[in-house]
Amino acid sequence: MATPAKSSGAEGLRPTLGDLILAALVAAAAVTLLFALRPAGNSGALTARISVNGETVAQYDLTALDEPIRVSLDELPYPAVVELSPEGAQIVESRCPGEDCLRTGAIHTAGEQIICLPNKLIVSLEGASNAPASDIDVVAG
Amino acid sequence: MPVRRLTRCAVLTALALALSVAEGLFPLTILFPLPGLRLGLANLVTVYALYALSGREALLILLARCLLGALVGGNLTALAFSLTGGLLALGTMALLRRIPALSLLGVSVGGAAAHNTGQILAAMAVLGNQAPLLYLPPLLLCSIVTGGVTGAVSILLLRQVPHSFISERKS
Repeated sequence: MATPAKSSGAEGLRPTLGDLILAALVAAAAVTLLFALRPAGNSGALTARISVNGETVAQYDLTALDEPIRVSLDELPYPAVVELSPEGAQIVESRCPGEDCLRTGAIHTAGEQIICLPNKLIVSLEGASNAPASDIDVVAG
Repeated sequence: MPVRRLTRCAVLTALALALSVAEGLFPLTILFPLPGLRLGLANLVTVYALYALSGREALLILLARCLLGALVGGNLTALAFSLTGGLLALGTMALLRRIPALSLLGVSVGGAAAHNTGQILAAMAVLGNQAPLLYLPPLLLCSIVTGGVTGAVSILLLRQVPHSFISERKS
């Protein structure tokens, strides 16, 4: 039925071994990067760091929380609400256009993060997840 | 620019725009919550233009698609991301295409990986922070799949749509 045009010249239309090697290279790059970026030295209590525009605006010791708290970030270009609990953090409300941060869902372990690009907002978890609580409750910058 | 070429570019640009809007209706991120993850349907047009037409036309179509997409979507920050990703992907694909050992499938995977890398670089530039780099490894792994899928579709497309349908008549 479908007759390939003469001029189409099967140039590069058949999968080759080279494709497999390229895919393997991409996978290798991904794995290497994954190991290179592993959070180093998980020590201290599980801490949520909220940064805006590259600067830390607040830090919360999650192990010291008894129940979930909500932090409203009203001064952002698109106001957002972050919910922090002893288990982790989650952006529960945001008026940003993409809403990627909402779809990211909750994060639970150190090294995880939620990024809201339109707000230049990063919520990241640091420290070990089951370490004893430290003396500091809240460090607000 | 000859009218025929202009029309061709316009049609493909419209197609690319429609594809990216259609893709936006079913974001892959609902299935996998990974920022920046997309199938890259509009990349189909870029690949097609690169193979059936020329790198120059592929570039023009890409630029027009990104600019119009940002205007239609009303999201200017998105422009930085789609441009960085798109240009890096097109450049990479144009280079990879010269490697005889690679078929369109590999070229498309390379393009998808380059696109994701470009987006992460743009995100790092916008945030002034290397935090987005954490998303790159899973995105790269996904790009093997998404690039493979769009590459396979492009192969079908190039086989089924006769070049004479779109390219210049040779006398």
